[in-house]
Amino acid sequence: MKKALVINNNLCTGCRNCELACSIRHTNTFNPARARIQILKDDFRATVIPMVCLQCDSPLCADACPTGAISENSVGVLTVNHDLCIGCSNCVTACIYGGISIDPILRKAIKCDLCGGEPACIEACTYQAISLQSTDSQGLRGRSDSVRVLRTAYGLSEVDV
Amino acid sequence: MTFPYKGYAGHYLDVDLTKGKIHKREMEKEWARLYLGGAGVAAKILWDSTGPDTEPLSPDNVVVVGTGPLTGSMFSPSGRMMFAAKGPLTGVWAESHVGGFFGPEMKYAGFDFVVIHGRSPKPVYLFLRDGHAELLDASDLWGRETDVTTQMIREEHKDPAVETAVIGTAGENLVSYASVIVDVYRAAGRCGIGAVLGSKNVKGIACRGSLGLEVHDMDKYLEANAEEMAKLSDPLWTASLASLRKYGTTDLIAIINEIGRLPTKNHWTGFYEQADDIGPEIIAEKYRTTQEACHGCAIGCKYIYKVKEGTFAGGPAGGPEYETLMAFGSNCLNNDVESIFHMGTRCDLIGMDTISCGKTIGFAMELWEKGILTEKDTDGLDLSWGNVDSMVKLVEMIGKREGIGDMLSKGVRKAAEIIGGDAWKYAVHVKGLEASGQDPRAHQSIGLTYATNVRGADHLRSISCIEELGYPEIASARFGAEKADEVLDIMSPKHKGEIIKDMEDLYALVDSAVICKYSTMWPPIYYYDTFVNVISPLTGMTEWSDMKYVKQAAERISHLRRAYNHRLGITRKQENLPQRLLKEPMPTGPAKGGLPDLDEMLDEYYDFRGCDRETGFPKREKLQELGLDYVADDLAKRKMLARGK
Repeated sequence: MKKALVINNNLCTGCRNCELACSIRHTNTFNPARARIQILKDDFRATVIPMVCLQCDSPLCADACPTGAISENSVGVLTVNHDLCIGCSNCVTACIYGGISIDPILRKAIKCDLCGGEPACIEACTYQAISLQSTDSQGLRGRSDSVRVLRTAYGLSEVDV
Repeated sequence: MTFPYKGYAGHYLDVDLTKGKIHKREMEKEWARLYLGGAGVAAKILWDSTGPDTEPLSPDNVVVVGTGPLTGSMFSPSGRMMFAAKGPLTGVWAESHVGGFFGPEMKYAGFDFVVIHGRSPKPVYLFLRDGHAELLDASDLWGRETDVTTQMIREEHKDPAVETAVIGTAGENLVSYASVIVDVYRAAGRCGIGAVLGSKNVKGIACRGSLGLEVHDMDKYLEANAEEMAKLSDPLWTASLASLRKYGTTDLIAIINEIGRLPTKNHWTGFYEQADDIGPEIIAEKYRTTQEACHGCAIGCKYIYKVKEGTFAGGPAGGPEYETLMAFGSNCLNNDVESIFHMGTRCDLIGMDTISCGKTIGFAMELWEKGILTEKDTDGLDLSWGNVDSMVKLVEMIGKREGIGDMLSKGVRKAAEIIGGDAWKYAVHVKGLEASGQDPRAHQSIGLTYATNVRGADHLRSISCIEELGYPEIASARFGAEKADEVLDIMSPKHKGEIIKDMEDLYALVDSAVICKYSTMWPPIYYYDTFVNVISPLTGMTEWSDMKYVKQAAERISHLRRAYNHRLGITRKQENLPQRLLKEPMPTGPAKGGLPDLDEMLDEYYDFRGCDRETGFPKREKLQELGLDYVADDLAKRKMLARGK
């Protein structure tokens, strides 16, 4: 079964410890700009917008990649092959979820690889806002529920949470 | 030689506004080794570059914008930064800290410190990105409030994640207690650093970085970090931390009123009968919408409020902290919590310290009650206690320095001088800084904290909550079982000199590391051993793994800040309390009758600090022991060293 990270917006405080943990795991430095999970803050709506790869079934990033560098690995995790990636940013433009970015040092595309099954961000989140869920209908419903507060904050839905 | 330590960005900026030149310099090794960062390094820089002849609002003053090795290094709670300068409100050492995300971002952008000299001929703001810095035109930003300023800067750089530290209109107008606002609703509030930036034509600093930070020994550092984090999980602290998450600092309204220490009616008493109206429960139930945290923080005390309807409909925005609820609430006998949300947010937008602003309004209200101020002085405003309409108007008038607002924008000490007569009796301040939300008549050691705090009457340089909330194990472990009973007696002056000296040194490290007071001040979890544990693997400064060295560094920072003030004329005479807190017994509430024994505590404090009881000046051998020979030589020339041995 494919899995993806689900971030519960009702629990997320926007502290960005997940970014730090991710950057340690992947770069051995503290560098949120190189993290594969990004927490955008909107100070004016007093809300936070977590962004991470959803491990899509029909990945827009892979479709947009001119060198075929993005593909599913054996456990269903979308992975960037850095030998093939030319850092063109097509995938960044294509992904509508902000799930892939260009590493400012390597100049290659980076995205969540679920840390091989034990994501560092989950362990680092002291608010228990991040979980690893199956991308079946139950998991997807959970993901949808967890971002409902954003739909209200941005006026996409009138229902108050 | 290149700067050898990790955990730091490794560079600082020297900005000469007068010439419009920016110099990028390598961090000084000795700054890190001897003063750690933050407040410690700022003290060294300001000692070297400012003094008795520096006018706070002149081009000669210097603003230090600082971070520490722990800033942005995943240590919880470390999303902090600080500002320091010679203060326009007090004329002495001014230091103000703030959370949010700016401090870490500044380091990721490549800079540990920014040192700002001179005065720009036109409005500018400083932009830092990945090791580069430039002064950009701020003409369009001048006259804007802090939220619009932040939004315009982000739009200019087409990046919503640019972090900002900006002043509002109050800073431009040189209000003596103007603040610096970070991330729209976090404030480096106290001491008027915003006015110093305003006087330099600096609207703010913005930064964005992707350089990251290296660690000396990542595995060892993460292990040390995890050990410290595990202390937060001790069942002893579960309730305290849960309360911080649920209520933030608003819980203090209830806790502090219960011990009769909640400043009420311009510090007349310490008990407010309507405290529930502005207290934690009603805020949590009715107005709080969500919780937030600063960078990498596991505590998460920040809350967001929204007032849905009515005169003060507003938000979502950062909710007022305890001090704001006190200053505009109990202090002014105002139990309309929605009005406090409004005034707190207005202060953030105008860029003004809520404590000094609320305290100055309370002072004016008492003068009105006493008949010292009348309608002809107040532009027709009725300053009766709790008159919300007048308070809301005063906040705006102070920000613009209009009418009576001009006099009140100078703080209670100056205002009392201008008014003359008996007005001084109602000006509750030390060294010119309006008292924060404590009262020594209900908590002895606060008297000593207020008196000796280098920035004035404020709790954050040395407050002890060990006796306030009663932690017997901590009291025994830190000061010895034989002293514990007296240490824990909140109204006994015994051992308070020792405790406050110890707290002041501990907080000197907190302020230099730079981390938050929560989990050090309250709950009292982290102690010197925390710094011994984490600084060395993070930075590679091996001496910092030695307890004796760490404690000496802490004392060094405390002494350097004190010496900075001595040079400006501060002696035991100014390390005093306002008449109300020293001589008028607490009139009502649980602490009724209470008065602090300041002299007894001060004597003990000076003994432990290595200072002369009569003057408060340091002894030469104490300074030499700390490697502060240059300070001893300077003070000796000015006859500011303790006499004899």
